[in-house]
Amino acid sequence: MNHPLLEIRNLSFTYEGASVPVFERLDLVVGSGEFILIKGTSGTGKSTLLRLVCRLNKPQCGTILFRGRDITLIPPAELRSSISYVAQVPQLVDAPVGENLLLPFAFRVNRKKALPRHEDLRAMLDEFYLDDVTLEQSALKLSAGQKQRLAIMRSILQEPDMMLLDEPTSALDPESAAMVFSITERLNTSRKMTIMTVTHSDYRPETIKGVMYRLENRTLKLMQE
Amino acid sequence: MNQIIDISTGKLLLAFVFIIAAQASSLFYHLGLHRDITIGALRTFAQLFLMGYVLTYILGSDNFLLTVAIFAVMVISAMSIIKGRVKEKQIAYILPTFLTMLVTYFATAVFVSGMIVGTTPWWEPRYFIPTGGMVIGNSMSAIAIALERLFGELRRQREVVEMKLALGADYREASSDVFRNAVTAGMIPSINAMMGVGLVFIPGMMSGQILSGTDPLIAIRYQIVVMFMLVGSTAVTSLIVMLIIRRRCFGVGEELLLSPR
Repeated sequence: MNHPLLEIRNLSFTYEGASVPVFERLDLVVGSGEFILIKGTSGTGKSTLLRLVCRLNKPQCGTILFRGRDITLIPPAELRSSISYVAQVPQLVDAPVGENLLLPFAFRVNRKKALPRHEDLRAMLDEFYLDDVTLEQSALKLSAGQKQRLAIMRSILQEPDMMLLDEPTSALDPESAAMVFSITERLNTSRKMTIMTVTHSDYRPETIKGVMYRLENRTLKLMQE
Repeated sequence: MNQIIDISTGKLLLAFVFIIAAQASSLFYHLGLHRDITIGALRTFAQLFLMGYVLTYILGSDNFLLTVAIFAVMVISAMSIIKGRVKEKQIAYILPTFLTMLVTYFATAVFVSGMIVGTTPWWEPRYFIPTGGMVIGNSMSAIAIALERLFGELRRQREVVEMKLALGADYREASSDVFRNAVTAGMIPSINAMMGVGLVFIPGMMSGQILSGTDPLIAIRYQIVVMFMLVGSTAVTSLIVMLIIRRRCFGVGEELLLSPR
């Protein structure tokens, strides 16, 4: 039987101490290779939704299936290596760019994966508009936009099945934001990467056909295809 | 060796000169410590006198249950001091910490008292209680420091820990730096004490034995055993406590449970 890549059923979530759920009985189906864009104002639970999908938040009610398997039955490290989450504020360690990019390969779940070669990393940096960045320079000295692109690139390197991008452009200037959106659209077309991104900006995909939802009144509403 | 010289009540009161000096310093420089110094001095006086009477009774009683009960009370007191220092409400750390302390300290005291010193019976109160007291007192500070560091650093570095989790790290890998720093911070005072002993300071137990007329060459043997015992028991206990409590900081899905303060 063919299962969708991700299926969310009846998902509800209430923040600790709150009386009203942030979303209730939410349903969503994501097919392989799709580009899902979820919009909504601050506090509507967009980030929480992504964090629940990769189990960074504790689920309360409802079911999330990844390739037909309940995510609570998948070992967390294995799940997060398949569904890669990139946070709103990119976190890099105090080390050179190259070391940051190879960080996922230090973890047990990724150790059997082939380590990217130096020249592949170099080529990818160029692809991510980071042609002026060297693998040897300190990652913490990069600009906010460069850090965000590096964080996305680092996630891609573990070859996940799906990427979750949490407000990837909220802290960026318009030029950097355009670069990030361009990269995510390209990842979807050239690498067939399934992407689910949340944003409160007016962005709509230019080069690809995405599925847009709005998260409001505690539920997801399809905007347009 | 000379017999120990008794300190008369009048001379004991003379020791309050040091407390008066501390009070004067606090008042002169407006340190605001006069209340704490007074309470501390009175507690030292009362607690030690009480302990003196209790020890006199226990050492003379040769009662196994009473010895073990006193030992348990000492661990409970240590736990309550740790609880006072580690202000953590979200993670239930008290019971596992207490049980680990109870088991490892008991095992250490049994090993030192029964096997190294070789007392008969192994719970001989004159050896068992002071040995336990030293282990508990030393290790208690290490555990408090390590726990404080673990909770504080996991909260401060929440984003970094979650970044590693998101990249496929398990909870151990995601928190390895924080864990290492927490255990090390707790251990440093014990290791420093080993470095400085005999050069920078004469340890309390050895001083006590020498003052009470024991040959310094016997006293140093006891002190070496005590120093090794303190380092070993502190390392093992704080490591076990940290391993258990770190797991409790993460949920079933290995999500970080500690929310920012």
